[in-house]
Amino acid sequence: MELGNNIRKYRFEHGELSQQDLANAVGVTRLTIHSIETGKFNPSTLLALKIAQFFNARFEDIFFIADEENQQ
Amino acid sequence: MTRFNKLVKNASVVLAIIGLGFFVYDIVIFLRLQPRMVVFDVLTQAEENLFFVTGAGLLVYLGFCISALLHIANYLRKAPEVKFRYIALVVGIVLSLLFVFSDFALMNDIVKQYRLGLSQPEWLLVYILIGFQVVTLCVYLIVQRVSLSKEVLLQQVALDSNIYLAAQYIGLVCGFMGLSFSVLGFIFPGGWNLTVHTTITMIILLIPYALAVGYWLITKIQEKKLLYDEKQLQDIGKSSFLTLIVSAAIMISLFIANYNNLAGITSMLWLPVLLFSILFLFSLGNIYFSWKE
Repeated sequence: MELGNNIRKYRFEHGELSQQDLANAVGVTRLTIHSIETGKFNPSTLLALKIAQFFNARFEDIFFIADEENQQ
Repeated sequence: MTRFNKLVKNASVVLAIIGLGFFVYDIVIFLRLQPRMVVFDVLTQAEENLFFVTGAGLLVYLGFCISALLHIANYLRKAPEVKFRYIALVVGIVLSLLFVFSDFALMNDIVKQYRLGLSQPEWLLVYILIGFQVVTLCVYLIVQRVSLSKEVLLQQVALDSNIYLAAQYIGLVCGFMGLSFSVLGFIFPGGWNLTVHTTITMIILLIPYALAVGYWLITKIQEKKLLYDEKQLQDIGKSSFLTLIVSAAIMISLFIANYNNLAGITSMLWLPVLLFSILFLFSLGNIYFSWKE
Protein backbone atom coordinates (compact mmCIF):
# COMPACT_ATOMS: atom_id res chain seq x y z
CA MET A 1 0.00 0.00 0.00
CA GLU A 2 1.57 3.28 -1.08
CA LEU A 3 0.75 6.94 -0.82
CA GLY A 4 0.02 8.33 -4.26
CA ASN A 5 -0.35 12.01 -5.10
CA ASN A 6 -1.47 14.45 -7.76
CA ILE A 7 1.06 17.15 -6.97
CA ARG A 8 2.47 17.20 -10.49
CA LYS A 9 -1.00 17.63 -11.97
CA TYR A 10 -1.83 20.44 -9.52
CA ARG A 11 1.47 22.17 -10.21
CA PHE A 12 0.71 22.28 -13.92
CA GLU A 13 -2.82 23.47 -13.28
CA HIS A 14 -1.35 26.32 -11.25
CA GLY A 15 0.47 27.94 -14.14
CA GLU A 16 3.16 25.27 -14.52
CA LEU A 17 4.49 26.01 -11.08
CA SER A 18 8.05 24.72 -10.63
CA GLN A 19 9.07 22.28 -7.89
CA GLN A 20 11.28 25.02 -6.45
CA ASP A 21 8.35 27.47 -6.23
CA LEU A 22 6.23 24.89 -4.43
CA ALA A 23 9.17 24.03 -2.16
CA ASN A 24 9.61 27.73 -1.31
CA ALA A 25 5.90 28.06 -0.55
CA VAL A 26 5.74 25.13 1.88
CA GLY A 27 9.26 25.57 3.32
CA VAL A 28 11.08 22.45 2.17
CA THR A 29 13.83 21.73 -0.35
CA ARG A 30 13.20 21.10 -4.04
CA LEU A 31 14.56 17.56 -3.65
CA THR A 32 11.87 16.82 -1.05
CA ILE A 33 9.09 17.89 -3.43
CA HIS A 34 10.70 15.78 -6.15
CA SER A 35 10.85 12.74 -3.83
CA ILE A 36 7.20 13.17 -2.80
CA GLU A 37 6.06 13.49 -6.42
CA THR A 38 7.91 10.36 -7.46
CA GLY A 39 6.54 8.42 -4.47
CA LYS A 40 9.96 7.88 -2.89
CA PHE A 41 9.16 9.83 0.25
CA ASN A 42 5.96 10.04 2.30
CA PRO A 43 5.47 13.56 3.68
CA SER A 44 4.42 14.25 7.26
CA THR A 45 0.77 15.10 7.89
CA LEU A 46 1.74 18.73 8.43
CA LEU A 47 3.60 19.00 5.12
CA ALA A 48 0.85 17.17 3.22
CA LEU A 49 -1.72 19.59 4.68
CA LYS A 50 0.47 22.57 3.80
CA ILE A 51 0.67 21.37 0.20
CA ALA A 52 -3.10 20.87 0.03
CA GLN A 53 -3.67 24.30 1.59
CA PHE A 54 -1.29 25.90 -0.89
CA PHE A 55 -3.28 24.48 -3.83
CA ASN A 56 -6.52 25.41 -2.09
CA ALA A 57 -7.62 21.79 -2.39
CA ARG A 58 -8.77 19.06 -0.04
CA PHE A 59 -6.18 16.71 1.34
CA GLU A 60 -7.72 13.67 -0.36
CA ASP A 61 -7.78 15.43 -3.74
CA ILE A 62 -4.01 15.53 -3.71
CA PHE A 63 -3.05 12.45 -1.70
CA PHE A 64 -4.56 8.97 -1.98
CA ILE A 65 -3.70 5.36 -1.19
CA ALA A 66 -2.37 4.04 -4.49
CA ASP A 67 -3.71 0.45 -4.17
CA GLU A 68 -7.25 1.58 -3.37
CA GLU A 69 -7.16 4.00 -6.25
CA ASN A 70 -6.25 1.19 -8.61
CA GLN A 71 -9.13 -0.96 -7.34
CA GLN A 72 -11.72 1.80 -7.86
CA MET B 1 24.58 39.01 -8.89
CA THR B 2 25.33 40.80 -5.63
CA ARG B 3 28.40 43.00 -5.20
CA PHE B 4 29.95 40.43 -2.88
CA ASN B 5 29.51 37.64 -5.43
CA LYS B 6 31.03 39.80 -8.16
CA LEU B 7 33.96 40.60 -5.88
CA VAL B 8 34.51 36.90 -5.10
CA LYS B 9 34.28 35.96 -8.79
CA ASN B 10 36.73 38.67 -9.88
CA ALA B 11 39.12 37.82 -7.03
CA SER B 12 39.04 34.14 -8.06
CA VAL B 13 39.84 34.94 -11.68
CA VAL B 14 42.66 37.35 -10.76
CA LEU B 15 44.18 34.89 -8.26
CA ALA B 16 43.85 32.08 -10.84
CA ILE B 17 45.78 34.08 -13.44
CA ILE B 18 48.49 35.10 -10.92
CA GLY B 19 48.63 31.48 -9.68
CA LEU B 20 49.09 30.25 -13.23
CA GLY B 21 52.02 32.66 -13.63
CA PHE B 22 53.60 31.29 -10.46
CA PHE B 23 53.22 27.71 -11.71
CA VAL B 24 54.99 28.61 -14.96
CA TYR B 25 57.76 30.13 -12.82
CA ASP B 26 57.88 26.95 -10.68
CA ILE B 27 58.27 24.69 -13.69
CA VAL B 28 61.05 26.87 -15.15
CA ILE B 29 62.91 27.03 -11.83
CA PHE B 30 62.43 23.33 -11.02
CA LEU B 31 63.65 22.22 -14.44
CA ARG B 32 66.72 24.39 -13.90
CA LEU B 33 67.49 23.38 -10.30
CA GLN B 34 66.40 19.73 -10.16
CA PRO B 35 69.19 18.31 -12.38
CA ARG B 36 71.76 20.11 -10.21
CA MET B 37 70.16 19.18 -6.87
CA VAL B 38 69.93 15.45 -7.64
CA VAL B 39 73.70 15.39 -8.29
CA PHE B 40 74.31 17.63 -5.22
CA ASP B 41 75.76 20.54 -7.17
CA VAL B 42 76.32 23.49 -4.86
CA LEU B 43 73.53 26.08 -5.13
CA THR B 44 74.15 29.73 -4.40
CA GLN B 45 72.11 31.43 -1.69
CA ALA B 46 70.27 33.36 -4.41
CA GLU B 47 69.32 30.10 -6.11
CA GLU B 48 68.05 28.59 -2.85
CA ASN B 49 66.02 31.74 -2.28
CA LEU B 50 64.11 31.02 -5.50
CA PHE B 51 62.13 28.45 -3.49
CA PHE B 52 60.67 31.25 -1.36
CA VAL B 53 58.97 32.64 -4.47
CA THR B 54 57.50 29.17 -5.04
CA GLY B 55 56.14 29.29 -1.48
CA ALA B 56 54.58 32.70 -2.14
CA GLY B 57 52.98 31.26 -5.29
CA LEU B 58 51.46 28.42 -3.29
CA LEU B 59 49.94 30.94 -0.87
CA VAL B 60 48.36 32.72 -3.85
CA TYR B 61 47.04 29.35 -5.05
CA LEU B 62 45.62 28.67 -1.57
CA GLY B 63 43.80 32.01 -1.80
CA PHE B 64 42.51 31.06 -5.25
CA CYS B 65 41.15 27.72 -3.96
CA ILE B 66 39.24 29.36 -1.10
CA SER B 67 37.95 32.15 -3.32
CA ALA B 68 36.90 29.76 -6.12
CA LEU B 69 35.09 27.49 -3.65
CA LEU B 70 33.23 30.50 -2.30
CA HIS B 71 32.36 31.56 -5.85
CA ILE B 72 30.91 28.14 -6.73
CA ALA B 73 29.15 27.90 -3.36
CA ASN B 74 27.49 31.29 -3.98
CA TYR B 75 26.33 29.99 -7.36
CA LEU B 76 25.07 26.69 -5.93
CA ARG B 77 22.90 28.48 -3.37
CA LYS B 78 20.67 29.86 -6.12
CA ALA B 79 21.17 27.16 -8.77
CA PRO B 80 18.06 25.33 -10.01
CA GLU B 81 19.96 22.03 -9.69
CA VAL B 82 23.39 20.68 -8.78
CA LYS B 83 25.16 19.85 -12.03
CA PHE B 84 27.77 17.11 -11.99
CA ARG B 85 30.46 19.30 -13.59
CA TYR B 86 30.25 21.80 -10.75
CA ILE B 87 30.47 19.09 -8.10
CA ALA B 88 33.46 17.60 -9.96
CA LEU B 89 35.04 21.07 -10.01
CA VAL B 90 34.44 21.52 -6.26
CA VAL B 91 36.06 18.14 -5.59
CA GLY B 92 39.02 19.07 -7.85
CA ILE B 93 39.52 22.40 -6.08
CA VAL B 94 39.28 20.77 -2.63
CA LEU B 95 41.93 18.22 -3.66
CA SER B 96 44.11 21.00 -5.08
CA LEU B 97 43.75 22.93 -1.82
CA LEU B 98 44.88 19.88 0.14
CA PHE B 99 47.77 19.37 -2.29
CA VAL B 100 49.08 22.87 -1.45
CA PHE B 101 50.05 21.53 1.97
CA SER B 102 51.60 18.46 0.31
CA ASP B 103 53.61 20.77 -2.00
CA PHE B 104 54.98 22.66 0.99
CA ALA B 105 55.90 19.41 2.79
CA LEU B 106 57.48 17.82 -0.29
CA MET B 107 59.58 20.86 -1.17
CA ASN B 108 60.70 21.15 2.42
CA ASP B 109 61.76 17.48 2.31
CA ILE B 110 63.57 17.97 -1.01
CA VAL B 111 65.63 20.89 0.31
CA LYS B 112 66.42 19.03 3.56
CA GLN B 113 67.48 15.87 1.70
CA TYR B 114 69.60 17.89 -0.73
CA ARG B 115 71.42 19.51 2.19
CA LEU B 116 71.99 16.12 3.84
CA GLY B 117 73.23 14.60 0.59
CA LEU B 118 70.28 12.20 0.25
CA SER B 119 68.36 11.27 -2.90
CA GLN B 120 65.16 13.22 -3.65
CA PRO B 121 62.48 10.89 -5.05
CA GLU B 122 59.84 13.50 -4.13
CA TRP B 123 60.49 15.49 -7.34
CA LEU B 124 58.19 13.24 -9.38
CA LEU B 125 55.37 13.65 -6.87
CA VAL B 126 55.82 17.45 -6.91
CA TYR B 127 55.39 17.51 -10.71
CA ILE B 128 52.28 15.29 -10.51
CA LEU B 129 50.64 17.45 -7.82
CA ILE B 130 51.50 20.71 -9.60
CA GLY B 131 50.16 19.24 -12.84
CA PHE B 132 46.87 18.41 -11.15
CA GLN B 133 46.68 21.90 -9.62
CA VAL B 134 47.34 23.58 -12.97
CA VAL B 135 44.66 21.46 -14.68
CA THR B 136 42.14 22.31 -11.94
CA LEU B 137 42.96 26.00 -12.25
CA CYS B 138 42.54 25.94 -16.05
CA VAL B 139 39.27 23.97 -15.79
CA TYR B 140 37.95 26.55 -13.33
CA LEU B 141 38.87 29.43 -15.66
CA ILE B 142 37.18 27.70 -18.60
CA VAL B 143 34.06 26.63 -16.68
CA GLN B 144 33.52 30.02 -15.10
CA ARG B 145 33.94 31.73 -18.48
CA VAL B 146 31.95 29.30 -20.65
CA SER B 147 29.29 28.04 -18.30
CA LEU B 148 29.17 29.33 -14.72
CA SER B 149 28.77 33.02 -15.55
CA LYS B 150 25.93 32.24 -18.00
CA GLU B 151 23.76 30.13 -15.70
CA VAL B 152 20.30 31.46 -14.90
CA LEU B 153 19.87 31.56 -11.14
CA LEU B 154 16.67 31.37 -9.09
CA GLN B 155 15.33 34.54 -7.53
CA GLN B 156 14.54 32.88 -4.23
CA VAL B 157 15.39 29.60 -2.51
CA ALA B 158 13.53 29.22 0.79
CA LEU B 159 15.40 26.17 2.00
CA ASP B 160 18.67 25.29 0.31
CA SER B 161 19.76 21.74 -0.45
CA ASN B 162 22.63 22.34 -2.88
CA ILE B 163 25.13 23.60 -0.31
CA TYR B 164 24.10 20.74 1.97
CA LEU B 165 24.88 18.27 -0.84
CA ALA B 166 28.14 20.01 -1.78
CA ALA B 167 29.25 19.76 1.86
CA GLN B 168 28.54 16.01 1.74
CA TYR B 169 30.70 15.63 -1.39
CA ILE B 170 33.53 17.52 0.32
CA GLY B 171 33.10 15.26 3.38
CA LEU B 172 33.31 12.24 1.08
CA VAL B 173 36.60 13.44 -0.46
CA CYS B 174 38.16 14.45 2.88
CA GLY B 175 37.02 11.18 4.49
CA PHE B 176 38.43 9.11 1.64
CA MET B 177 41.77 10.94 1.69
CA GLY B 178 42.03 10.64 5.47
CA LEU B 179 41.29 6.93 5.30
CA SER B 180 43.82 6.43 2.51
CA PHE B 181 46.45 8.28 4.50
CA SER B 182 45.71 6.18 7.60
CA VAL B 183 45.93 2.94 5.61
CA LEU B 184 49.31 4.12 4.23
CA GLY B 185 50.39 4.57 7.85
CA PHE B 186 49.64 0.89 8.51
CA ILE B 187 51.44 -0.23 5.34
CA PHE B 188 54.54 1.97 5.85
CA PRO B 189 54.75 2.42 9.64
CA GLY B 190 58.30 3.79 9.45
CA GLY B 191 57.54 6.11 6.54
CA TRP B 192 57.05 9.22 8.63
CA ASN B 193 56.79 10.60 12.13
CA LEU B 194 53.39 9.23 13.08
CA THR B 195 52.60 11.49 16.01
CA VAL B 196 53.36 14.75 14.20
CA HIS B 197 52.19 13.82 10.72
CA THR B 198 48.98 12.11 11.84
CA THR B 199 48.00 15.16 13.84
CA ILE B 200 48.85 17.61 11.05
CA THR B 201 47.11 15.49 8.41
CA MET B 202 43.98 15.19 10.49
CA ILE B 203 43.79 18.94 10.97
CA ILE B 204 44.53 19.74 7.31
CA LEU B 205 42.09 17.18 5.94
CA LEU B 206 39.30 18.42 8.17
CA ILE B 207 39.74 22.07 7.10
CA PRO B 208 37.78 21.85 3.79
CA TYR B 209 34.94 19.97 5.46
CA ALA B 210 34.86 22.43 8.36
CA LEU B 211 34.78 25.34 5.87
CA ALA B 212 31.94 23.73 3.89
CA VAL B 213 29.86 22.98 6.98
CA GLY B 214 30.61 26.45 8.34
CA TYR B 215 29.41 28.05 5.09
CA TRP B 216 26.31 25.86 5.12
CA LEU B 217 25.58 26.90 8.72
CA ILE B 218 25.90 30.58 7.76
CA THR B 219 23.39 30.09 4.91
CA LYS B 220 21.02 28.39 7.37
CA ILE B 221 21.31 31.27 9.83
CA GLN B 222 20.53 33.69 6.98
CA GLU B 223 17.49 31.62 5.97
CA LYS B 224 16.23 31.80 9.60
CA LYS B 225 14.53 28.43 9.16
CA LEU B 226 15.12 24.86 10.26
CA LEU B 227 18.54 23.33 9.64
CA TYR B 228 16.98 20.42 7.75
CA ASP B 229 13.63 19.68 6.22
CA GLU B 230 11.87 16.39 6.99
CA LYS B 231 13.29 14.47 4.02
CA GLN B 232 16.85 15.52 4.89
CA LEU B 233 16.22 14.50 8.52
CA GLN B 234 15.08 11.07 7.35
CA ASP B 235 18.17 10.73 5.10
CA ILE B 236 20.46 11.77 7.96
CA GLY B 237 18.77 9.24 10.26
CA LYS B 238 19.36 6.39 7.79
CA SER B 239 22.90 7.53 7.09
CA SER B 240 23.67 7.80 10.83
CA PHE B 241 22.37 4.28 11.43
CA LEU B 242 24.54 2.91 8.62
CA THR B 243 27.54 4.82 9.99
CA LEU B 244 26.88 3.54 13.53
CA ILE B 245 26.81 -0.11 12.45
CA VAL B 246 29.94 0.04 10.27
CA SER B 247 31.94 2.26 12.64
CA ALA B 248 31.13 -0.09 15.56
CA ALA B 249 32.57 -2.98 13.51
CA ILE B 250 35.67 -0.88 12.69
CA MET B 251 36.07 0.05 16.37
CA ILE B 252 35.91 -3.61 17.43
CA SER B 253 38.51 -4.53 14.78
CA LEU B 254 40.81 -1.73 15.96
CA PHE B 255 40.36 -2.79 19.59
CA ILE B 256 41.36 -6.37 18.75
CA ALA B 257 44.37 -5.16 16.72
CA ASN B 258 45.45 -2.86 19.54
CA TYR B 259 44.82 -5.44 22.31
CA ASN B 260 47.36 -7.80 20.82
CA ASN B 261 49.99 -5.09 20.41
CA LEU B 262 49.47 -2.22 22.84
CA ALA B 263 52.59 -0.33 21.81
CA GLY B 264 51.87 -0.86 18.11
CA ILE B 265 50.86 1.48 15.37
CA THR B 266 47.11 1.05 16.05
CA SER B 267 47.49 2.95 19.32
CA MET B 268 48.23 6.05 17.20
CA LEU B 269 46.18 5.45 14.06
CA TRP B 270 42.88 4.28 15.60
CA LEU B 271 41.59 7.85 15.88
CA PRO B 272 42.13 8.94 12.23
CA VAL B 273 40.82 5.58 10.98
CA LEU B 274 37.65 5.91 13.03
CA LEU B 275 37.18 9.64 12.45
CA PHE B 276 37.63 9.52 8.68
CA SER B 277 35.58 6.31 8.37
CA ILE B 278 32.71 8.07 10.08
CA LEU B 279 33.10 11.15 7.88
CA PHE B 280 33.31 9.04 4.71
CA LEU B 281 30.36 6.77 5.55
CA PHE B 282 28.12 9.54 6.82
CA SER B 283 28.73 11.70 3.73
CA LEU B 284 28.34 8.73 1.38
CA GLY B 285 25.08 7.72 3.07
CA ASN B 286 23.67 11.23 2.86
CA ILE B 287 24.50 11.51 -0.84
CA TYR B 288 23.08 8.07 -1.59
CA PHE B 289 19.81 8.62 0.27
CA SER B 290 19.42 12.14 -1.15
CA TRP B 291 19.61 10.97 -4.76
CA LYS B 292 18.22 7.47 -4.60
CA GLU B 293 15.21 7.96 -2.32
